[in-house]
Amino acid sequence: MFPIEKYHMAESVQDAVRALAEDENARVIAGGTDVLIRLHEGHKDYRNLVDINSLDALRRIWQEDDGSVCIGALASFTEIMDHPLVQKFVPVIGEAVATVGGPQVRNRGTMGGNICNGAVSADSACAALVHEVDLVIENVDGERTESVIGFHAGPGRVNLKHGDLLKYFRIRPENYLNMGAAYYKYAMREAMDIATIGCAAGLHVTDGAISELRLAYTVSAPTPIRCAEAELAAKGQPLNKTTLGNIAQTVEQDVKPRTSWRATKEFRMHVIRTLAAKVITNAAWKIGEKIA
Amino acid sequence: MRIEFTLNGIARNVTVEPGMNAQKFLQDVMHVPSVRSGDDGTGYIGNDVILVDDTPMSAQRLIVAQLHERNVRTVESLSPEPGKLSDLQQALVESGAVQDGYNTPAAALLLDDLLHRIPKPNRQEIQDALSGLFVRDCGYEPFFKAMDLYQARKNDPDAAAAPTFRPEWREVGTPRPRLDGVSLASGQKAFVEDRVVPEALVLHMLRSPHAHAYITSIDTAAAENVPGVHMVITHENCPETNYTQAGQGFPEPSPHDRRMFNRKVRHVGDRVAAVVAETHEAAKAALELLKVEYEVLEPVLSIEQAEREGAPLVHGGPQQYVVGAPDDLEEINKNAEPRDGTITYQFPIGANPRKNIAASISGGLGDTTAGFEQADVVIERTYKTGQIYCTPPETHVVYSYMDNNRVVVHASTQVPWHVRRLVATVLGMPQNRVRVIKERVGGGYGSKQDILLEDVCAWATYKTNRPVYSHYTRTEEFTACSSRHPMTVSVKLGALDDGTLTAVEMNSKADTGPYGNHCLTVPMNACSKSLPLFLCDNVAFSVTVFYSNILPTGAYQGYGAPQGSFALQTAMAELASELGLSHMDVIEKNRVREGSRLELMRILGEGREGVAADVESCGLGEALKCGAESIELNSPVTSDDPDIRIGKGFAIIQQGSGLPGLDQANGRVCLCSDGSLLVQQGGADLGTGLDTVMAKMAAETMQVPLDKVAVISGDTDATPFDTGAYASSGTFFSGGAAMLAARDLNKKVLERAAHILKTVPEELRLDYPGVVTGGSRNLTLAEIAHEAESGEGLGPIAGVGSFTTEHHAIPYGAHFAQVAVNVRTGEVRLQKYHALQDCGTPVNPELAAGQIYGGALKSLGHALWEEMVLDETGTPMNPSMQGYCAPGILDIPEDFRAEFVVTDDPHGPFGAKSISEIATNGAAPAVAEAIHDAVGVWIRDWPFTPEKILRAMGTL
Repeated sequence: MFPIEKYHMAESVQDAVRALAEDENARVIAGGTDVLIRLHEGHKDYRNLVDINSLDALRRIWQEDDGSVCIGALASFTEIMDHPLVQKFVPVIGEAVATVGGPQVRNRGTMGGNICNGAVSADSACAALVHEVDLVIENVDGERTESVIGFHAGPGRVNLKHGDLLKYFRIRPENYLNMGAAYYKYAMREAMDIATIGCAAGLHVTDGAISELRLAYTVSAPTPIRCAEAELAAKGQPLNKTTLGNIAQTVEQDVKPRTSWRATKEFRMHVIRTLAAKVITNAAWKIGEKIA
Repeated sequence: MRIEFTLNGIARNVTVEPGMNAQKFLQDVMHVPSVRSGDDGTGYIGNDVILVDDTPMSAQRLIVAQLHERNVRTVESLSPEPGKLSDLQQALVESGAVQDGYNTPAAALLLDDLLHRIPKPNRQEIQDALSGLFVRDCGYEPFFKAMDLYQARKNDPDAAAAPTFRPEWREVGTPRPRLDGVSLASGQKAFVEDRVVPEALVLHMLRSPHAHAYITSIDTAAAENVPGVHMVITHENCPETNYTQAGQGFPEPSPHDRRMFNRKVRHVGDRVAAVVAETHEAAKAALELLKVEYEVLEPVLSIEQAEREGAPLVHGGPQQYVVGAPDDLEEINKNAEPRDGTITYQFPIGANPRKNIAASISGGLGDTTAGFEQADVVIERTYKTGQIYCTPPETHVVYSYMDNNRVVVHASTQVPWHVRRLVATVLGMPQNRVRVIKERVGGGYGSKQDILLEDVCAWATYKTNRPVYSHYTRTEEFTACSSRHPMTVSVKLGALDDGTLTAVEMNSKADTGPYGNHCLTVPMNACSKSLPLFLCDNVAFSVTVFYSNILPTGAYQGYGAPQGSFALQTAMAELASELGLSHMDVIEKNRVREGSRLELMRILGEGREGVAADVESCGLGEALKCGAESIELNSPVTSDDPDIRIGKGFAIIQQGSGLPGLDQANGRVCLCSDGSLLVQQGGADLGTGLDTVMAKMAAETMQVPLDKVAVISGDTDATPFDTGAYASSGTFFSGGAAMLAARDLNKKVLERAAHILKTVPEELRLDYPGVVTGGSRNLTLAEIAHEAESGEGLGPIAGVGSFTTEHHAIPYGAHFAQVAVNVRTGEVRLQKYHALQDCGTPVNPELAAGQIYGGALKSLGHALWEEMVLDETGTPMNPSMQGYCAPGILDIPEDFRAEFVVTDDPHGPFGAKSISEIATNGAAPAVAEAIHDAVGVWIRDWPFTPEKILRAMGTL
């Protein structure tokens, strides 16, 4: 039996925010994929739950007038990958969440949970980082917007304060238009594995040169990261093999992989370098560009 | 809180604890058995799937409150009427996708949902639908066959699930729905957990955090005072009996080197204490209050550490021998450490615990020194295999209770009779006061040949006089379970320039871990199931097995053969490469064939002198020919992707069919007064379809259709003795006993008919469908049986059969692999895997194919992904399904085939030999050769990770 002492099914966002504000021990349960596992392990932090599953408003995926694509925090992985707006404008987000194994998991898992649990291996994190998604958050003091850049604070930690409720993700047009984006999940095997290394690239190309590269990794540092040095090395460079080689070398300065029982640091670094070239190549292909 | 929801179309209104796990709620409160668990709540295994508002979800990731106002469906909703199957479920049953059946309801729900979304899904879409479901038995491939069959039946209701073999017979060799198919596919009660009464006590185990330590004190007082706690069992109050957990024939070759609880713990996860309580909560609370103090010892964590001079001793206790004690036993025991407990050997097994040697043996034929001198080329290679887990979807489980002063044990076991013997021994009761009922087994694969839980649960029942239930957590399934022995095998081969072998030497070291269950026989098997594949006059082998403090080992499908096969077959491929000859030519030059006499088998017995074997059926030549053709062995393949290199490889394999001279199976076939047959058989069907094999043997022999036969099996009260389902004995031994029993019944029926018709039996014959002809009038089985039970009759008619043999009926095969290796990332993709096997007659063709797929995929997992990793303290790093990396449906070969080479073994029932264990022997060497063919490096230790490949290539 889960040691739940208080359970509140929120009826509205305001109700949820109020319930969270009233109880300093209250935790949000969204898809439940992670919370339920922690409860099963007997974590005592999860005794008071505010369930937001009835908030259908948070399940929507829509486009705003300025072209921003919005994904509700409660939209399931299945809903995200199947949605025409996602497929048309931000397909890499759909591709990333599709790597989560099993319909029964994808039907329940949410991008809100995937980002808010702060997992270093979160499949949607790389794609969120290259699209520089905004997180629209509400608490009793009102609504605020934060960028996913800098949102991850450490292993399993994010910049959410008690009482905060993530409502939706917003991807502004400047963060997806004319950008080729790709994601690759390197896992020990195909089946239901967490990423050994995850890598996403977002690429803008002008006249055969990289006008902007956004390169993100999971499981390569204590949090999902963007690679400032590698991105700088790419800027203005011709889209060719030499540049990819340089990026792959430079990315070593951005990452801090570590040795675990699954893989040594040297091996992870090799994969990180290799994926940089591979994922940028795939991203280029998405906008009809080829590596010279 | 109060929730309203719809369950399978019925409105329900229930008061619940909102935080209750929805899986527990549905299974325990709403009594829907098919919503199962097996992964400590992670949902990883996927057998907890339910439909919520027609959307598949993992029930373990829902709390009950979230079912409020929802429409919940489980597999029961698929049945067109209660107890009947939908067309999809029927197709699953008939395609061999239902083996252990534990996860079949979940598969049915997921595929049914897929068909609603996509009416004609392709292979990739089927893979995606099942990508969150773990099955270990059938290698996933039968799911595609089931979907094909389902679609085909829409147009052709008679579409067949699998090819038919042996057209001269009606049942044997023809695909038929397995006897337990309806029950399993529709999610009816079938497993141990389904039998537990609500008032049963639960038993939880406290497990050691240390790999090697003495328990210096245990304070149980606080735990015993927890309300609802009935007893705490520790080394201080458990029976003194020494035993082995190995479910082997008595006297076992495994040393009796443990009690129920020991003063010394020998691995992380070893038993420290058991708490028996009214509820899980009380048991868990009590576990936390147990105060245990340890004197921590240096652990021994590898073969190298175990054999080191001055290494800590894992078993330093006194030794005793039932027979064959060494002359210096008294001397040996002088400085024995009593806290380590006594080791009792039933007979000598080459042990020397003072050097951490659990067992050893060596032997050979001819003169290898001369053989190597005669050779033009000699190679020596060393291969290593890892610690591999069975990972059955259903973890170890037992339920026991007292009934009229007898102990009844519902077990998920491969060895009901060994369980009965062991429980009786430990409890100090006569065997006639113990009843073991084997339920459906949710996967065993060897791990349920060992008696890991029944002993302590039965003891708890005996002491409390209460029903007691215990179910391993998934963590326990890794830390306190049988696994494949890690082995280091050195192979030395000598050959002439033309490839003819002049000498073969195999020197093996194995790690048995903390206890000696199967310590001699598993590593021995590495030799006995690999060396006889080659006809060489000069052969030598040695096996040394070490105790250590790694996690326990034991039996696993294939026993030691996968390790030995990996070493010897890869060495043969390396030899061919060294000689510049084709691997196939070298194999053809040296391989066993029909008519060969295998003297080696005399030396390679299971802990005693074996029996020389004449090979009277061998489909190896045909398997090699067909496999080489189907995989186009001699046509290199290239990829358009410059990073990808493609390679091919193969290996020849063998196993046995039970243990000649050791095993015994018995059956009874009773004729009911309506002419139907009841088979009472000791054999334990662990999902392989053995019950259906035995039914077919009876039906075929008694000339009746299969639906006239029912089987009860593996119940020690209701069926006769059988050694158990291990060593590939099921079809050959238990099937053989069923055939003999049916023959005996056939004979008796004719005698009774002759009595009625006043003629002699020789004038009569039994014809299909169960009619005696040749007399003055025809008599049906029903007429004969009815007469037999009448006031003028001679009593009910039953046939009995006892099967023992001195003959080896060796199954053979060849497995072929094609892999694509990414030279940048080291990733290996399985493009093709073609398994060709000679099992004599495939009795259940669709289930036999499933067995091949399952065995092959398990061993592909061993070769490529799976391993248990311990840290420097002996603590496992990955004791979870997610961490352990057993393959899922996305990992299977793109082109995965299981094909039969049919032979007719003169000693097997209806020409049948064994099928499943052998299938675990080919993948590692075939894939190793394919990787070498692709990128030019030999990877000689499991698993063949990208990192190892890149390092061998010099990329890393």
